[in-house]
Amino acid sequence: MLNDLEKKRYSRQIRLFGEDGQAKLKKAGAFIAGAGGLGSVISIYMAAAGFGKIRIVDCDSVELSNLNRQVLHWSDDVGRSKARSAKDTLEGINPEIEVEALEETISKENIDQLLSGCSLIMDAMDNFSTRYILNKAALQKKIPLFHGAICGYQGQATTVIPGKTACLRCTFPRAPPVTTFPALGSTCGVIGSIQVTEAVKYVLGFGGLLENRLMLWDGLSCSMDEVACMRNPGCQDCSALIGDANYKQEMSK
Amino acid sequence: MLVKVMAFASFREILGRERELELKAGSTVGDLLDVLASTNRRFKEAAFEEPGQLREWVLLMINKKRIDPFQDLGAELHEGDEIAILPPVAGG
Repeated sequence: MLNDLEKKRYSRQIRLFGEDGQAKLKKAGAFIAGAGGLGSVISIYMAAAGFGKIRIVDCDSVELSNLNRQVLHWSDDVGRSKARSAKDTLEGINPEIEVEALEETISKENIDQLLSGCSLIMDAMDNFSTRYILNKAALQKKIPLFHGAICGYQGQATTVIPGKTACLRCTFPRAPPVTTFPALGSTCGVIGSIQVTEAVKYVLGFGGLLENRLMLWDGLSCSMDEVACMRNPGCQDCSALIGDANYKQEMSK
Repeated sequence: MLVKVMAFASFREILGRERELELKAGSTVGDLLDVLASTNRRFKEAAFEEPGQLREWVLLMINKKRIDPFQDLGAELHEGDEIAILPPVAGG
């Protein structure tokens, strides 16, 4: 399953989860929504870890003010499309994997096509209206959504497993207003790393996930808290798309 | 009665990490929010759309169970309850 170069490249991970585990990552296809601060950390660590296919989507171009946190893009990339810049960086990190980088705006209309062949959704968006599109798509396709968001020194993460956990809409029923948020690169580093760790454990099938748990990071006091999330039986997204009966079945297992 | 208020994200910068508040017996979640707003202008501006109307995206939990800020502000609090209040963080 793994060639000799891959065995060498991933040798420190193979110590953790064996060649079988590494082969599982190689088979996994991840959709990364956004190539900004979170998308940079997520895609770099997923590429380095050897997720076999990465599809990263962003409609913007690199700006100078992105560079404090968006470590996928370098000074020479200012003005280039983030998708192309991301592809170059990720292929440079790991030529063994397949990287697709698309210059698209995620919408209700194109999300199905964008997700084709991917079994994991990594949320690296900067707004809740697009996150709700990802949430619905995850529910429809019954694939996990690894949520993360940041603002300044603070961040949050949770893992949505359709049919099992609260969905993103259950936890965040209403979107906060879109603002130009302050951002520290290292906060993206903390939250994006948690999201990737969650995806690794999900693919390998072990460890404890952030299921029905919202993890809250406060870099200012250097503390991590968590609050419980609960399914909302009247949720406009998961109740309609999956149905309460399926959740009850899952809960009784 | 004594309840514990825990704030997260930007609300923590305004209210502090956690505090205990003495409330009259029979006080509701809405009463608690009024006390916080009347004693802290920054919190009032951050959490309320206009007096008495919480911003729709504010997340509230009593003893780790989420409550709807539109429907459940009349829920009665009890001695020792833990109330968490947080704004969703949205950036990426």
